[in-house]
Amino acid sequence: MSFLQIVEGPLFWVAAAVFVLGALWRVGGLIAMKRRRDIAPPTGSAAAGFIRGNLRHFLPRAAFARRTWIHLVGGYGFHLGLFVLLLFAAPHVAFLDKRILGFSWPALPRWAFILVAEIAFAGLIILWVRRISEPVMRLISDADDHVGSWLTFLVMLSGCFALQQSHDALRATHMFLVDIWLLYFPFSRLMHAFTFVLSRGHTGATYGRRGITP
Amino acid sequence: MSLRWFFILLVIPGLLTLTPLRATAQSAGGTVATGVSERGKQTLEDILARQKAALRGLKLAPGTAAAPAGAPAGPDTGPLGPRGNQSLSDIWNRWRGGDPLNLLKPYSADQVMTTSGEQWRLLRVEYIRRYAGWFPLGALVLLVAFWMYRGRIRIRAGRAGRKIARFTITQRVAHWFTAGVFILLALTGLLILLGRPLILPWLGHDAHSVLISAAMQAHNLFGPLFIAALIWLFIKFLPGNLFHPVDLGWILRLGGLFGGHVSAGRFNFGEKAWFWLLIIVGAVLSITGLAMEFPWLFADLRWLQLSTVLHAIGAIVLISVALGHIYIGSIGMEGAIDSMLEGEVDENWAREHHDLWYQEVTSTTGKEKEEASA
Repeated sequence: MSFLQIVEGPLFWVAAAVFVLGALWRVGGLIAMKRRRDIAPPTGSAAAGFIRGNLRHFLPRAAFARRTWIHLVGGYGFHLGLFVLLLFAAPHVAFLDKRILGFSWPALPRWAFILVAEIAFAGLIILWVRRISEPVMRLISDADDHVGSWLTFLVMLSGCFALQQSHDALRATHMFLVDIWLLYFPFSRLMHAFTFVLSRGHTGATYGRRGITP
Repeated sequence: MSLRWFFILLVIPGLLTLTPLRATAQSAGGTVATGVSERGKQTLEDILARQKAALRGLKLAPGTAAAPAGAPAGPDTGPLGPRGNQSLSDIWNRWRGGDPLNLLKPYSADQVMTTSGEQWRLLRVEYIRRYAGWFPLGALVLLVAFWMYRGRIRIRAGRAGRKIARFTITQRVAHWFTAGVFILLALTGLLILLGRPLILPWLGHDAHSVLISAAMQAHNLFGPLFIAALIWLFIKFLPGNLFHPVDLGWILRLGGLFGGHVSAGRFNFGEKAWFWLLIIVGAVLSITGLAMEFPWLFADLRWLQLSTVLHAIGAIVLISVALGHIYIGSIGMEGAIDSMLEGEVDENWAREHHDLWYQEVTSTTGKEKEEASA
């Protein structure tokens, strides 16, 4: 069995299982976490606050908009770019079709793929250099933040290395890094991809129950 | 009719028709010089007869087909080609025109093929690829030598502990974004340029091919990001980077690198020179890079050849100078990196290295400006 077969076969399935089970465990744990009962009579809807809290945080407060525009542009550029690449890059669509789902959907043309990759890379680099060049951000960042950023960057970079699809070694490198990324994901802050809904929602629900717009 | 005979009857006459020796050329006196066919020996019938004889395993008697004009006379016992026993290189040499070894004479009036490709290859292989690596290496050696001579440039008065704002978060992010993309491009570019002489002999063709394929994809992908970074950097750092008469003093005293105090504003001449070098050479790299990434936009191949040459030279220059920038901005000078990590510098550092700027920002009007912009 070649290295490519291992990283696309058994190792990928193990990593995917750890990713799914680990993420479910973490999210389930947060949902099941016991909270102190709020005995005050509600003056608003907690459910509406949950939804409002989630939506409201997609845009910065007006007072901070100017100061945080780099974070905003970098954040949206990277995250949206990453999701588009993950779901609509032609090699990913083919992989999902043949190895997992058994069906496919239209993939991005190559020019659009390149454009989205440029945006995603720019966003990720901006987010990380902001992390190191802003004293407060640097202080509150720990190894997990840097490892998560760099691992994601290396996954994306190795994916670009393999764009020509001419060498199995490059594809294997990309898949190996994907496997590591999947294994690391549930144990790291990369989990924010799922938990952001709960954290925003919790704040929103708390305020919403008190009749305050979060 | 066998395929072999079909080839002989169709392709060989075609080649002869294209041969410039057969085509007429206007001589200086206005007379028409004719090709081989008129010399009576290298005719189609003659060659076909010789081919037929060769196929039968026979040899014709010497002298059946004469050598072309200018070729040494000899027996016709050599391998047979479209022109009998005449070397095909004679045809290509006449067809090509120009002189592949003379850079000043790349084209001739009656050329059919350009020779610039050969010149480009020679320039790339014999000069750029051979010497390019020595420039960054030389820069490193110079920096080590300077480090040994001067050591780390300290803040003479020590750190004051009071900070002065120097770069905004946008400027810092623009700087590090450009730096990150530049490093990626430099590494992949050096791999592409020098991989064949430096890596291939060690790792072999397969590993080299993998590395170059990866480097090429990454280089092409990050290239456009460098263009965006360059524009961002230009906009954010242009203020303060225009030349000023005080820079003359800095130039004459070599920036105080070998001791002594030199006055400077927000940016000294060295920083300004680096800024403009990066912007101008970066623009050249961007344009030539785009030319190589979208080659179909250029009808003339020579533009692409020129682009590869300018791209390689410009990149080597920038990489070499960037090493000096990295050195002086980090380990070479105490307190310098604070400006790009914290956005602030120590007051004594500002006073010693950018005294005019220090006076400006600490003056009453300077403080008012700072407060207004905060």
